Amino acid sequence: MAHDLTKEEYSAQVAGVWRATVWLSVITIAEVVAALMWPEEWNRYTLNFGFIALSLLKAYFIVGEFMHVKYEKRALALTILVPTVFLVWFIIAFLWEGAMWLDNREIWEVILEQVPSGGGHGGGHH
Amino acid sequence: MATDTLAHSQDATQDEWMGGQSPFNISYGKLMMWYFLVSDAFTFSALLISYGTLRFSTPTWPDPNVVFSAMPFLPHDMHVPLGFVSIMTFILILSSVFVVRAVQEGHMMNKKGVLYWMFLGILGGVAFLSCQAWEWMHLIVDNGMTLYENPFGTKHFGQLFFLITGFHGFHVFSGVVFNCIVWYQTLTGVYERRGHYEMVEKIGLYWHFVDLVWVFVFLAFYLL
Repeated sequence: MAHDLTKEEYSAQVAGVWRATVWLSVITIAEVVAALMWPEEWNRYTLNFGFIALSLLKAYFIVGEFMHVKYEKRALALTILVPTVFLVWFIIAFLWEGAMWLDNREIWEVILEQVPSGGGHGGGHH
Repeated sequence: MATDTLAHSQDATQDEWMGGQSPFNISYGKLMMWYFLVSDAFTFSALLISYGTLRFSTPTWPDPNVVFSAMPFLPHDMHVPLGFVSIMTFILILSSVFVVRAVQEGHMMNKKGVLYWMFLGILGGVAFLSCQAWEWMHLIVDNGMTLYENPFGTKHFGQLFFLITGFHGFHVFSGVVFNCIVWYQTLTGVYERRGHYEMVEKIGLYWHFVDLVWVFVFLAFYLL
């Protein structure tokens, strides 16, 4: 029935959790404020890049502090984190694919407009 | 001397993997919960990446500041962009914090502490689900956003929104059910007799994962 944490470890971890809570709250507020205040004429990609970076920082606090990975053995942390490397190509490949669909659709719209209209689809612009 | 330390540390790492103990220094149940969460993370990634693919393939996309601007108890013509979802996010973060506190009290074998914090965690989960129910109802009934039509723009938006937040909401719902079971078993002294509160930790991992997924759902639908 022994405690498996010493008094000092317990206090340190409780403090760590509250620190992470403050960080998560501050980051979320910053994100919402940025989403609302960002001027139209400023570069939207900069903002999106910031959102993604801040979300990854939030994920770090949740996985590291709340899910305790910071205090686990290195081998365990690696066995959980390394598989997510696959996501990098997963994301690149599928966003690429999505952009290509859009391209194809736009190209075909131009081509179909130039075909002499034999009735049916596509025509009727003039 | 250097070779001595090297040889020694190699022995130490090999010994860990020679059996008779957990090389990761955690129990089988916790490790399997982790591996389940890794697989669940891939499921959510697939959903969010399909959101990205469809969004990249669509010429226009609704502006979240316009879609998500309603608040309960306020007049309909009053717009608070992202206000309600910020509240939902805070509720989920706080609920996650309460459950971490329950886990920590479990390490100290403090039954009262586990009951107190786990109760707050359950309240947070129920509050989040209620907010989500209101948000869905508002979008469907007041705005007419369904799987088939979307007044804000492309219908992909509504379909992906209901699919992904629905799948996440179902995780929250099952998490609340698990938390209730843990709370009840703590109350009846099951873990006290067992000599440890590891079940609180395992269910806690699941609960934090739900919070982790929300970070990325929030990113995809409300921020980008």
